[in-house]
Order: sequence, then C-alpha cells, then structure tokens
Amino acid sequence: MKVRVKSFAILRQFLPRETEVEIKEGALVRDLLGLLVKQAPPLAAELFNEQGELKDFVNILLNGRNIHFISGLDSPLREGDLVALFPPAGGG
Amino acid sequence: MDAYAGKIADIDLTRKKVTITATPSDWKKRYLGGRGFGARVVTDRVNPRDDPLGEKNVFVLASGPTTGTGIPLGSRYEISAKSPLNGTLMSSNSGGVFGWKLKRAGFDAVILNGKAEKPSYIYLNEGKAEIRDASPYWGKTTHEATEMILSDLGDTKAKVACIGPAGERKSLLACVINDMDRAAGRSGGGAVMGSKNVKAIVAAGDLSIGIADEERLNTVKERVREKLEKNGICQALTKYGTAVLVNIINEAGILPTRNFQSAHFADAEKVSGEALAEKYLKKNKGCYACIVRCSRVTEVDGEIHEGPEYEPLWAFTADLGINDLAFATKATWLCNKLGLDAIGTPTAIACAMEMKEKGYIRDGPQFGSAEGILDLIRQMAYREGFGAELSDGSYRFAEKHGHPELSMSVKKQDIPAYDPRGLQGHGLEYATSVRGADHVYGYMVSPEVLGAPVKLDPYTSEGKAQWTKTFQDLTAAIDASGMCLFSSFALDADDYADLISAATGMSLTGKGLLHIGERIWNLQRLHNLKAGYTKDDDTLPPRLLNEPLREGAPKGRVWQRQPLLDEYYELRGWDKNGVPTRQKLEELGLA
Repeated sequence: MKVRVKSFAILRQFLPRETEVEIKEGALVRDLLGLLVKQAPPLAAELFNEQGELKDFVNILLNGRNIHFISGLDSPLREGDLVALFPPAGGG
Repeated sequence: MDAYAGKIADIDLTRKKVTITATPSDWKKRYLGGRGFGARVVTDRVNPRDDPLGEKNVFVLASGPTTGTGIPLGSRYEISAKSPLNGTLMSSNSGGVFGWKLKRAGFDAVILNGKAEKPSYIYLNEGKAEIRDASPYWGKTTHEATEMILSDLGDTKAKVACIGPAGERKSLLACVINDMDRAAGRSGGGAVMGSKNVKAIVAAGDLSIGIADEERLNTVKERVREKLEKNGICQALTKYGTAVLVNIINEAGILPTRNFQSAHFADAEKVSGEALAEKYLKKNKGCYACIVRCSRVTEVDGEIHEGPEYEPLWAFTADLGINDLAFATKATWLCNKLGLDAIGTPTAIACAMEMKEKGYIRDGPQFGSAEGILDLIRQMAYREGFGAELSDGSYRFAEKHGHPELSMSVKKQDIPAYDPRGLQGHGLEYATSVRGADHVYGYMVSPEVLGAPVKLDPYTSEGKAQWTKTFQDLTAAIDASGMCLFSSFALDADDYADLISAATGMSLTGKGLLHIGERIWNLQRLHNLKAGYTKDDDTLPPRLLNEPLREGAPKGRVWQRQPLLDEYYELRGWDKNGVPTRQKLEELGLA
C-alpha cells in the first residue's frame, strides 16, 4: 500500500518535503520510520533517543492526530494515510 | 543588593511633578515586579469604572527582579493599565534590551498619572527622572521617533520605548514599541500612553545592579543554562523561531483561516517558518542575556527589520486567506512602525473581510487579496477613511454593523492563532484569561500540541482545568519576575524560585512562586468583576461553540464550555459565578 509522508523544519535535510512511500499491508508507524531511517540514516538521531523511543517533543501526526493518542509507534497505517513528521517546535 | 534597582519614578503629568520613591519591600515580596507591580498599582489607584482614556487611569511600566541581572532570558518588562480596549486590568510584555536599560537607569518601574499638557517624554537617567518636551517627535513613527530622540540626546546607548501615530490617536489597538522592533502588543496600552500625551519613555545610564548572593546565583545560572541549552524546543526556537509553528498547527487542523471559518489553510507551506527561513531570513537575534535568540531578522525589498513572529504571520496570511509572505512581513513591520498590535490589526481586517463576504458591509477588503491592505493599516493608525472604522478593533466594528458574533474575540480582544475547537484546554485559557482572549497568559498549546512538559490529548477536557490554572499562575509569576515565557519550555517553578531567591535574597519556593502568580491573577480578576464582567463573559464567540470544524483530524468538534468552566472556578476557589471567595482572598492576602 502507499502512504504519504511530509517532513518539516530540520527533517527536510534528510527527507523530501513530501513523498509517497510503498509499504507492506498492515504496517505500523514504527515500520514506516524504520524504512525512512534505512533510506536516510541521520534521521534516526533526530527522531529517536538511545532507548529507541521517540525523542521528547518530536511529534508525529497521522492524518492530523498525534500518534501518542492512537497507539504510539504501533499505530496502524492504512492505504492513503498522511504521516507528518515534526522535530521539536516552539513558539507562541 | 537584591537585584532590584530600588527606585520607582512616580510621575504626576498634570502637575508636572516627579516623585522618586524606594521600591516598597512589600511589593517585592508579594508581587515580585513587572506584571505584579502593575496589577498592584492599577488596583490601588484606578476605579474599575473609570474611563481608561481619562486622566484617572495610570500607566505602569515595570521590570522584574531577574531583568538585567545576566540571568539567561531575564530581559523582560511589562506595561499595565486599565485596558481601553476592554476595561480589564491589562498587562503586556516585551523583550529586547529596554527592560535591562530601565534598571541601569536606576528604576524598577515608572508610573504615569494624570495627563501632560503637551506632548512629552520621560527621561530616566541614573536615578533621576524628568518630563521633557516631545513636540518634535509627535506625529512620527516609532522608528523615526526612536532615531530622532537618540540623535538629539547624542546618546546612542540610551533605549527608547514609544508609541506611534496609532497611540497618539488613541487607537484601541495601539501598542508600545521598544528597541525599534519589540512590542508590548496587546490590550491597547499604547492608547493609554497617548491619552496622557506621552510619546516615549527613555532610559539612559549605567548603574550596576547588585545581586544578593553572587556565588549561589552563578551555580543556579549554570544549571538553568544547561537545561535551556539541552531543551529540544529551545533549540528549535533558535533554529527556526516561532514561525515554524505555521505548518504543525495547520497539519493538526487548528490554523484559523478566513476569520475562523475553517482551520486549515491550503497555502500554509508558502507562508511557513520554513519558507521564511529560505526566502527572507538574514540572521537570528536575541534579547538581552538570551541564549535562545528566537527573533528573526528578515530582509524584503532591501529593507531589514525583525519579524514576523508566528502570530502576526498567521494573522496576515491564513486569517486573511492571503498566501503572500513578503506582504505579511511588510505588514508586520508597518504595524510596528505605526505602533499597532500586529495581532489585533490583521484580525480586525479578517472580520471586515467576512462582513464584506457576507454582504453586511458594501465596501471593504476581500479575503485572499493583499491589494490595498498596507494602505488600510495606515488608515487604521491615523483613523482615516475606512480604516477609522477598524481602528478600535474587530468587536466595535462588527457590533456597529449589527454582527458582533463575527468578531472572533473574547472580552473584545481578538483570539490569536489557534482554533480552540481542536484544543479544549487552550479554549479555556481564551475564555478565562484576565485580559481577554490571549495565548501568553496560559499557553496550553504547549502540552496540547508541542508535548511540553507532557503530551495532553487536545480533544479532551479531563484534567485541563487544573493544567490551565497552573499555567496561568506560573505565567503571571514569570511575567512578574522579568523572565521570558519561553524559558518555561525548559524550566519549572523551582528553577525560577531558585533564580529569584539567589538574586534577591528572598526565600522563595516553587510553591511560593505559584502563590504569587495566583495572587496577581486574582487581583486582575477582581478588577474585571468590578469593571462589570461576569461569568457570561467567560466564553468564546458562538461560532466556536456551535459550528463544528468541517475538516481535518478535529472534524466535528466545537469548544465545550462545560463542565470545564465550573471545574476551573472550583479549582480557583471561586464561587459558581466566578467570584473569588472570601476564603481564597484571605489565603492570598487580598481580603
């Protein structure tokens, strides 16, 4: 199946601004990130801490909803989903 | 040797009398400084029913104990008054270097009472204060006035906080600009200065600021510096500034678009922080003692200034349906030059655009078109043409034309850049903020979107009343301390208490700091109730309560006022009508 991936801010040094990724049926967000890191290894340090968990303040939105409130890295993907990857951001 | 400058310039403009008093120790202990001093002075001197543009209002400009001490991010000052925009006990905060210079000039605060007979400015220099003639500067933009004053003084190291043409004409959107490009932007403080015929406050001199316990402060400073440097959000602010929020807020489906008619802007990428960095960014810049340096110095068509920050960037693009980044940058600069609130000005225009779209007014600006908007902004500052109708903000304009519901405001102050239908906690902050709709009196976006200090589900109400109260109280104390609010992405209440204790010699705990914040919050609330506000005003515009979002992840959601509001009142120790109980006031020493 295909999912769309958008990257923002510093992550654009490693990923295209927007891209379509072919991934196996039933894949999880975790699998998608694994695939992206394989293509762009420096991405790992931006997204994950030493325990392999998402770093503080890294936010991943699946169709606009933070995966933290779905099933985290185990959130399931479906055909046509939009995954937006945000490094820490601040403001006000 | 307690980090305070030790003096207050209490100025009676009507009688041309300057009184210099020692900063009361009771104020330091109970209100810290900044917003706390302002709330105390306005409460003591202004009847909440008085005309905010009359002689009886006061204008307070105050720094905090951390300001100018070399504590990282300790740069801020605050202005306070009864707001002419909405009658609340307002305060507005600004950075740059002016706050530091105020203390080097020997003062913790300046209080303006009465009204000067002719255009004047206040000159502060090493413990002395004078009322001086400002006739040559009246009518000038903030940039022109700043340059002329410094040139006439022959002192390029002096610092200026001033109003522009908008403040002179008492536009209720008028702000105070310091150091050319920094704004105490919201709630109409610039109109109060204008009503007093005061063009500027100028700080000069080089007095030192004594610290109670240098050794202890150095130790705490090191700890705090490390926390700030390691914090991912502070690092992101250094790299991208606040404008980087455009994309994440849009992707989350909460970027207000076309006067909050939707919450997704198709052209967000074109006006994002990333686009700003690519096209117009020259360098980043910091306020005094800042290690984050979030401000953006930008260049468009050969002109170089600071900005835009996220809020005006949003308001001049998505909220107007305009995808022109160069326009938004220039429009923000223009607001700064004219001394207009760079949030309330574009949001008033957004309201007019919807009124035009719906056929409620015949002439007016149109969504999606930047044509004529820069001229309209000028008109708003000078109260000319159609701009005169918008000069006092969206609420008065929409009400005049029979549709106050199209003013996206709370207590007549416009809502900033986050749609509360997808942010239940931040909606509560808008509804209850003691200066009207606002994002920096309790930035619930931080846990609800950015994930700091924890991730809170933006769609649920559970626990949000407590979080909002804590954020509001902590922010009031941070504003009183002179620290920048952005430090709170990395620091907690105990960190601030340690910094303040080491600098001032007080024995303050994190809990004690929150208590001070709560005291300030309740003081502002008490004023507002006496000014006529009731529970009915602690709400959002009907659109945000009744019209569900139509797309994106928060599709179908509205802001749910209850049970959030009742729970919030209870946690605050207020009765069912939102009035602080006797017990609460006794606990805070306000009975």
